[in-house]
This record gives sequence, structure tokens and C-alpha cells, in this order.
Amino acid sequence: MNGNFYKDEYMPQVNKIGKLTGYLGVLVAFTPALVLAVVYGIVPKPAALLTAFISGASAFGVLWFVEPISYFPVVGPAGTYMAFLSGNISNMRIPCASMAQVAADVEPGTEKGSIIATLGMAVSIIINVSVLTIGAILGTSVLAMLPDSVKAALNYLLPALFGALLVQFGMKMIKHSVIMVVIAFALYFAIGMGVFNWLPGASNWLGTLGCVFISIAVGIATLSNNK
Amino acid sequence: MDVMQIANGLPMWIACGIPVVFVVIQAVLFAKGAYSAGKKVGLSDEKMKKAMKSSAVTSIGPSIVVLSGMLSLLVTVGGPVGWMRLSMIGSVMFESIAAGLGTSAVGVTLGTDAMTGEALGMAVWTMILCSIGWVLFSTFAANKMDKIEHKLSKGNAGTLTTIASAAIIGVFSAMCASHLSKPFYSMLQKADAAAMSSSWHNLMACILGAVIMFILTQIANKKNIGWLKEWSLTITILGAMIITALI
Repeated sequence: MNGNFYKDEYMPQVNKIGKLTGYLGVLVAFTPALVLAVVYGIVPKPAALLTAFISGASAFGVLWFVEPISYFPVVGPAGTYMAFLSGNISNMRIPCASMAQVAADVEPGTEKGSIIATLGMAVSIIINVSVLTIGAILGTSVLAMLPDSVKAALNYLLPALFGALLVQFGMKMIKHSVIMVVIAFALYFAIGMGVFNWLPGASNWLGTLGCVFISIAVGIATLSNNK
Repeated sequence: MDVMQIANGLPMWIACGIPVVFVVIQAVLFAKGAYSAGKKVGLSDEKMKKAMKSSAVTSIGPSIVVLSGMLSLLVTVGGPVGWMRLSMIGSVMFESIAAGLGTSAVGVTLGTDAMTGEALGMAVWTMILCSIGWVLFSTFAANKMDKIEHKLSKGNAGTLTTIASAAIIGVFSAMCASHLSKPFYSMLQKADAAAMSSSWHNLMACILGAVIMFILTQIANKKNIGWLKEWSLTITILGAMIITALI
């Protein structure tokens, strides 16, 4: 059966590649710091670095755990390995994985869906790196060439993308989506008003995590009602 | 030697190129694995190519947004580091905050004070140290979460599909709500006029994105226009962006 191939051959292979490249990737990430130290003799003082790290960890530490957990149901195991090494998850990897699934007409959460999501994500990483490489080489001249009105318009690209994607995926579960938007709005409004300020860094992680879990809970509840 | 000369020097380009190439290698490895696995579970070449094409088209817009964010990093930490950070692990918001935290620990405020060698080193180290948490945890947990999810749904494929679809809607309703709610709580907190105007514009872009997408999808489905389905996202984003900018 196909299921056996997926579970017994494909998944172990994904895990092998993922673990190897993930841990190696962490080491490779240090090359610029190493070159600064070896070539130029720039080594930060441990005390200052510790201060910076502690403030960084208290701002982002929760996200290290919360984001992989909340995005896992969407991107699957292969996607989890890839998305967190390449970054730009909510603004690029997830939209691309989801659009790939739409184009190939496969359901998310299935074996075919997970394979297509992996393909979509890999393509988006390659495109992203290409655009950034061209941009980095041409440098500031690219931005200088753009008129201010275009620069201002670029700020509206992401909200428009999110609105469009919500509709694209919400069309299949309209009632569910409407309920979720109302809940999400209330949650974000409360976060913005500072209701959750007693939770450390709540404004960074509570919104996404809350919405993903409430949405899954509502989804499972309505599924069992239908039966 | 001037700090920015170091930051933009050839050794730094090479040092930053290695991680970037590494990210691409990982993507290619996974893509190859997924492609051959796709064939075995009965996905046609045509379907998989369509999926990749659609993803490529979808990537372009957000990539340009990331690029415009990268340019602010080019000024502060130099081209190579900005390039590497946004190709690997990072996101624009995280990188600028982390870089700022690093330099401020040695008394340099990004964007106002001149960069020093010490501050550059701090920025680079802080960005790396604060970001590897994501990779370490996700690499460690990826195969374990799979088991947990299967246990939760007791191997029932239908439940798993519902969980995934609901999670996607959860993610995007969260992203939309962050833009939709901002003007309202900013107003209550008496934010300044510039901040209010940009948050209203974001709200409008988000709603326009939803409305245009809804109309295009309806037309494409009713009249069964294939190319419109493929390009609807691009048309929507561009349309919403332009209309918002004009108003």
C-alpha cells in the first residue's frame, strides 16, 4: 500500500535529512561570527553578549517553542525542518505551501498534501533566496530607484495577502472562518489593549497560538457534531 | 579600517554565502525527496509542476517585501549579514530587534550612532544566538510532534485533515485580525496621526484583499476559467495594494 511507503520509507528519509541539515545548519549559522573573530579579531565581550542574549531570549524565547508547535499542523514534519531554517514562515512559507496544495488540488493534512506542501515550500525558499541575492548585490540602489509611492504601497502587500488567503481557504469552511475571524479580532483587540500584559511577551505569541488552537478545537467539535 | 568596509568586505560575503547555500541545499534535498515520493503515492508530474509553479508565483510578492526590509539591514549591519539573516532563519522584524539589542548592550543605538567594530560583532552574535532556538527546537521536535498529532486523532485521516484545515484558517484569521484590530485599539490609546493612518491603510488592504479574492474566486468557479484561478492571488494582491496606495 501507498501508506506503507509514506510511513516506512519517506518519513524516515525526511527525518534523516531534517535532523542532519537542521543541526548542521545551526553550526553553519555561526560562520559570519567566526570570520569576524578570526579575520578581523572582533570578539564580543562575554558579559555584554550575555546581556544581549538574555534580553533577546526573554523577547523571543517563547516563540522558539510556540511557533514550531502552532505551525506544525499546517506544514507537517518536512515543512517544520525547512521552514524554521529558512525563516519568513507566516509571510511566505505557509502561503506558498497552501497555494501549492490548492494548485495541485490536494487536501492539507493528507500524505499527498504534505508532499505537495514540501515541494511548494522548497520552491519558495529558492525564489526567496534568489530575489534577496539579487537585491543584496545591487544593494541600496534598488530601493533608491523605487519612487516613494511604490515603497509606501509595498507596506500594504502583506495585509492584502493575508486577507486574500483567508478567503481562499475559508471558502471551504465558511461558518468556521467567520467564527474564527470574530474570535481572532476579539483576541487581538484584547492583546492590543494590554489585557494580557501580565503574560511575558504575550503580544508576540498569544495571538497566533490562541487562534490556531481555538480553530482546531472548534473544527474537531463541529466535526463530531456532523457525525 | 572602517567598520562598514569590514561588514561589506569579501570575507564577510563568503562567510555569509556558506549558510545561504546551505539553506538552498536543504531545500533541494527535500524537494527531490518529495518529488520522488509524490510519484510513488500517485501524484502526476503535471500536478506537482503546477504546484511548484503556483508556489513560485506566490513567493515573488512577499520576497520583494522582505527585500525592502533587508535594505534597512544593509545600512546598519552591511550587505552580507543582512542577506544571510533574511535567507536563513530570520524575519525582518526579528532581525532588526535582535541587531538593536546586540548593539545597545555596548551602548550603540542602531540608526543614530555610528557603528563600531565591537557593536557589529555584538549585532552578528546576538542575531545568531537568538535565532538558533527556533532551529534547535523544531529540528528536535519535528518527528515527535507527528506522533503526538497521530495519537490525538487516533490515526483517523478525516480528523487529521480537519485539524490541518482548521489550523490554516486559524493562522490566517490571526494574521488578518492583527491588522483589523489595530486601528481600533490604537484609537482608544490615542496613537499619533501617522500611526493611525498607516494602521487604517493596512486594515483597508486586508479587507480589499479579501473582497477582491472573493469576487475573483466566484467568477473563476462559475465560468470555470483556469488561468484566473492561477493568477487570482497575484491580481488580488496587486489590486488591493494599488487601490490602498491611491486612497
